[in-house]
Parts: sequence; C-alpha cells; structure tokens
Amino acid sequence: MSDPDVIVVGGGPAGSCAAIVAARAGLSVVLLERGPFPGSKNMYGGVVYPRILDDLIPNWWEEAPIQRWVTRRATMLLTETQALTVDFRTEAWGKAPYNGATAYRPDFDAWLAGYAEAAGAQVLTSTTVTGLLRDDKGAVVGVTTDRPDGDLRARVVIACDGVNSFLAKEAGLYEHTDAKHFTLGVKETLALPKEVIDERFGVRGREGVDIEIVGCTGGINGGGFVYTNLDTVAVGVVLKLTKLAAQATRPEQIIANLKGHPAIAPLIEGGEMKEYSAHLIPEAGLRMMPKMTTDGMMVAGDAAALCLAAGIWLEGVNFAMASGMYAGETAVEAVRVNDVSAKGLVGYQRRLSNTFVLKDHRKLRRAPELVLSDRVQHLYPQMMANIAERMFRVDNPEPKPGLRRILRQERKRAGVRRRHLWRDAFTGFRSYG
Amino acid sequence: MSNRIVVCLKWVLQAGEPDDARFAGVSPADHAALELALQWAERTGGQLTAITVGPPQAETALRDAIACGASNAVRIDAPLSTNSADVAAAIASAAHDAKWVWCGDYSMDNGSGSVPAFLAAALSASQALGVTNVTFDDSGITATRRVDGGRREVLAVHAPVVISVEGATARLRRASLTALRASTTAPVDVVVPIVAMRTSQHTIQPYRPRARALAMPSGANVLDRVRSLTTTGTAVATHHEVETLAPAAAAARIVDALRDWGYL
Ligand SMILES: Cc1cc2nc3c(=O)[nH]c(=O)nc-3n(C[C@H](O)[C@H](O)[C@H](O)COP(=O)(O)OP(=O)(O)OC[C@H]3O[C@@H](n4cnc5c(N)ncnc54)[C@H](O)[C@@H]3O)c2cc1C
Repeated sequence: MSDPDVIVVGGGPAGSCAAIVAARAGLSVVLLERGPFPGSKNMYGGVVYPRILDDLIPNWWEEAPIQRWVTRRATMLLTETQALTVDFRTEAWGKAPYNGATAYRPDFDAWLAGYAEAAGAQVLTSTTVTGLLRDDKGAVVGVTTDRPDGDLRARVVIACDGVNSFLAKEAGLYEHTDAKHFTLGVKETLALPKEVIDERFGVRGREGVDIEIVGCTGGINGGGFVYTNLDTVAVGVVLKLTKLAAQATRPEQIIANLKGHPAIAPLIEGGEMKEYSAHLIPEAGLRMMPKMTTDGMMVAGDAAALCLAAGIWLEGVNFAMASGMYAGETAVEAVRVNDVSAKGLVGYQRRLSNTFVLKDHRKLRRAPELVLSDRVQHLYPQMMANIAERMFRVDNPEPKPGLRRILRQERKRAGVRRRHLWRDAFTGFRSYG
Repeated sequence: MSNRIVVCLKWVLQAGEPDDARFAGVSPADHAALELALQWAERTGGQLTAITVGPPQAETALRDAIACGASNAVRIDAPLSTNSADVAAAIASAAHDAKWVWCGDYSMDNGSGSVPAFLAAALSASQALGVTNVTFDDSGITATRRVDGGRREVLAVHAPVVISVEGATARLRRASLTALRASTTAPVDVVVPIVAMRTSQHTIQPYRPRARALAMPSGANVLDRVRSLTTTGTAVATHHEVETLAPAAAAARIVDALRDWGYL
C-alpha cells in the first residue's frame, strides 16, 4: 500500500474533523486511534457546541447522537450552606438550529469518525502512535506505531492526540510544560429514570440543563458541573492540579462533598453510579500554547492546548473540531502546492488567528487565572451569598438596610479589600465584557 | 486443495448492547483458534480461509483475521441467531474440502460449544473438542482434551478434523500496520445459503419436566386426599434398583425408568 498524503493521530473531535476535510478534498488519509473505536477512551463534562459543523455536516442536529439540548444554563455560587444561582432558560436553544447539547463522547466521537471513514479516510483503531519519523533535516515525515512493521510515512502529520501531547512535545513545539497549567477533571455519571430527571430539573422531552458551579471544591481551586443526559446525570469537578497534589485530597472525596451539598443532593438522590472517569484539561490557554506547526506537522485540539477553560465556559470540543478542520484545510493547500515545510503550513496559524479559535482565547486570556484565583474561589462566593441572604432576610422590627451598607459590611466580613474587588471586577469586565 | 485450512469465527454482539457494533467482537477462544490455524498454515504451507456466519457487520472479524494473515475470507449471510446445526451445515457446504478446521470451543453468546461437533459430523471429519493444549511436530498435531473428572485425554489428530480450542491455548498475534491497512479493502466472499436458516431460541431456562396426568386422589375428606397426593406422613418412596447391563442397554433402562417415575 502506498504512503498516504496525511496521517492524523487521534480519533477525537480534532482528528476526525481534520480527516474529514482532507479526505473530502481528495487526499489519502490514515487516521490512527489507540482505542478499540474512536471515542472509546474519551471523556469530558458533557456539553458540545457543534455550530462549527454547519458547513461540514449540514443539519448535523438531525443525526448527531445527542442526549439533550441545553435549554437551561445556570451558574451557581456555593458555600457550605448557601447557594446563589443565576439561571437562564430559552426555548430557542431547544429547536433547530440549536445551540449546545449533552452527548456521550463514545457516541459523538464515533459518529464524527464515521464521516471521516465515509469521506475515504482509513480509520485504523487499536493502534498507538509511539513517536515521529524525521528526515535528516529534522522534518517530520511520518510516525512510528506499536504494531509490527509499524512505521508509516506521509507528507503531513496532524497531531490530534489530546492533552499532554507526546507528539507535540517530541516535535519540540512546547517550550516547556508546567503542571500548573493543567486541571484535572473528574466525573461521575449517575443513572436516574428520565422522568425523575425531567421533574427534578424542570425540563421536558429532549430539553437539558447545564449547571456550572464555583465554590464547591474545598480548599482546592477549581469548579464543578452538573449536566443532564437522557437518563443519567453527570456530576463532576475540575481541580487545579498543583493544589490537588499539595493537599493530598482524593478527587472522589471532593465530588462526594459536592453531591452532598444541600443544593445538589436533591437533584441526584438515588442515582446509581454508572461510570467514574478522569482526564486532564489544558487550562492555561494562551499561556501554555505551543508553536502550531513545524516542518511536516501541525498540532490541533487539546494537543495544542486550544481548549477554552474560562470559568463559566468549558469548551474544548468545538475548539478541537475547528482547529482540526483548519489543519485539514491547510494540509490540502500544502500538498497541492507541494510545500509541507513550516512555511507551507503557515495558513494554519492564520486560520486559527482569524477565527474564534484564537480570538476567543485572546479575549478571555485573563479569565482562567481570574476564575481560579484565591479570591474568586474562596472569598467571593461567601461574600455574594451573604449579601443575597441579607437582602432577602426580613429582620423586623429592624428596618431594611440599604444595599450599599450590606455590600460594605459583607465585603469587610469576607476580608475582601476594596482595591482587589475593583481590580478583579475590571479584569472580569475586560475579559468577559 | 488437499491441505485446506479453515478457521471459524463467531462475531458476537455484547449482551446489553444488542444493536451496537462498537462493542462486538469474537471470543478469546476464537482468537486462539485463529492463531493456531495461522501457525498450522505457516508450518504446512497451506492456505487459511476464515469463515463467519453473520450479518455484514460481522465482516470486521474476517478483516481482522486477514490482517493477521488469513489468505481469504467467507461470510455466510445469515442471522446471528441461526441454530448450531444450520450454522455447521452452511460452513460445511462452503468448506466441504477443508482438511483442518479450527474453532473456538465456545462463542461468547450462546456458548453451547455445539457448532464444532455438528461441523465434524457434517464434514464426516474426526473431532477434537474442548482442547486445552496443542503441539505441532513433524508427525502432525497432538491435542490435549479436557474430559470428566479433571482428567485429560491426549489425541493424535489426523485430517480431516475439526479442532475446537479453549481461549488459553494461544495468544493471537498483533497484525502489522501494513497488513491492517491492506485488510480494510480486502475482498470478502459472501455466500447466501440456499436453504432457509432456522433460528434458535437464545434464552436459557431452567429444566421443567413435562406435565403428567395424575389420577384423582382417593380419600374420604380433603385432608386425606392432600395426604395421598403429597405422601405426607408416609415413608418417602425412593426409587432405586440395581441391575447389571451393557452400556447401551443400561442407558436405555435408565431413560425408561426415569420416564416411568415421571421425571421425563
Ligand atoms: C472533565 C472534563 C470536562 C470537559 N467538559 C467539556 C464540555 O462540557 N464541553 C466541551 O466542549 N469540552 C469539554 N472538555 C474538553 C474536551 O474534552 C476537550 O477539549 C476535547 O476532547 C479535545 O478534543 P481533541 O480531539 O483535541 O482530543 P481528545 O478528545 O482527547 O482526543 C484525542 C484522541 O487521540 C487518541 N490518542 C492519544 N494519543 C494517541 C496515540 N499516541 N496514538 C493514537 N491515538 C492517540 C485518544 O485515544 C483520543 O481518541 C472537558 C474536558 C474534561 C476533562
């Protein structure tokens, strides 16, 4: 068999999209996945935003293996005994063309890889890529695998091998990697009858709920989430890796605490655990991103740290799909003009820069740090919850205090300096505003 | 075609995931059979044909076999629930000239282990079933079989033969990347059986003896009638008799006695 034009490493969303684009343009593509089928090894919290697929797979929503359409999105601040929630719902997200959806990754990724195969890509599973093949000038010319006779050469390699990419590191694209740039995501999937979920979360049919939580991870900086699938609920936390290691706490203990919180417990009571899973998240965005190309190779998705983890946003799948598509397009271009050097692949960086992929990252570059900062994590939830409690408490015969007074008193009680509050508000406004 | 070697592979959907090909596969025993068949083909210079009975998706099992070194592959188009006798008959007609037929001893779903036995009968071949160890030497194949009472039987195996092996007899080799790539487009012959295949019931139920007619119990009152029905209060009647007979006659006598006593 002749060598393919393109090798894609990894059958996650980035890899499948890269393979679809390159194969549809007529290139010969081999996609190598270590699991027994694409998606078999992949986990995430639970919500995909497939808008980027509109052109690639028209009317994707008619076919995608989704669980529920997210029509209710809540952000929750928790203290040990309080919960303050901003809860948004809209009918619009429950009908075409939809917005976000919960889906299981072994379903979603396998579905997407089906399009790569249909486009003519050769999808080879149970095959782990173990390293890069280089020519004498150092250009990447293929990969080695764990199979006998396992070297494979191609014009272009697209590394979509996920977070902590060994291939990107081997290619020298990461200057340095640091544990503090990662968070650990852990999740329990709890089975409950559909009617029970519908009732507890106030939804019907295929409507679903997405709850992001701050203040539920004890002394460890991070966040939590609750997502509804058709007949399971996903409950998980995202934890700053360095803090987790330093505190010697088990992540499942932190999930257990979250599950026991008075605001969460009634939602998941009686759920039978179906799955416990964990995965790293490249959290630091621009601060950790590698060089995107080298001679003969591009890197996309989590492998390129393109996951957007900015507090109330945890979006990685859409960034992976988009970057995979752009890498695929660039490969097509480079093979056509017969220049697969880093120079021939510059179109990739340009596509990333000119689209939401890097624009969102630039806009939200301060957000991950802000959201994981000690004040946002440990002081503000208490302060905000206390303010709400004071506002809504009736202290007769005392007259109602003015909001200004409550704010000042609660800020002081929480030990928050006014200067810091302004600075964080400003950073937040610059990031999200 | 004097040295034709065949391996039979059953592609099975996982219980609880009945429509999901992602979780389907063949048993470790079938993998062991494939490995031994490949080794035997290499040793004898024969051609190995992989055969499965199943729907189109079952061809993945055949492609995996081709990737590992099988020369060609045949899928007999029939439902996975086809009964063992018909599966064996279909395989036998597709591979009537087979000399060495390798099977796993049990599939992962029904696991009755009956296809290899039916197949040996259909091919008029000898059989070595439930084999725990296989050795090859210049004189041929030696197979060790599990028999009752923890004993082992060592067989010198001669063609034509059907050998069914346990999962631990061999570990399937890993396909090379080149062969794996080639296998994705390798041709698979599809045979559509001429006769309709009968499906078998998959659910395993506890043994229930046939209903038998009982005479109306005698007795003056209800209590007596219940007593006479249940033998309550009387010495329990046990059935026993000692006879010395030739094996065939003994078996027939046992069946007759069980029938008389109402167990069959
Ligand atoms: C707890 C948690 C919650 C998350 N929640 C969300 C969410 O709600 N929404 C969202 O959009 N994103 C979420 N994410 C992020 C999202 O999961 C990732 O950004 C996304 O999966 C990245 O896709 P990818 O294709 O780049 O990598 P992956 O999905 O990680 O895929 C990589 C693939 O490469 C394969 N592979 C790796 N190494 C090799 C090798 N050497 N050889 C062959 N194959 C290899 C793997 O098996 C895998 O299939 C979450 C992540 C976590 C951990």
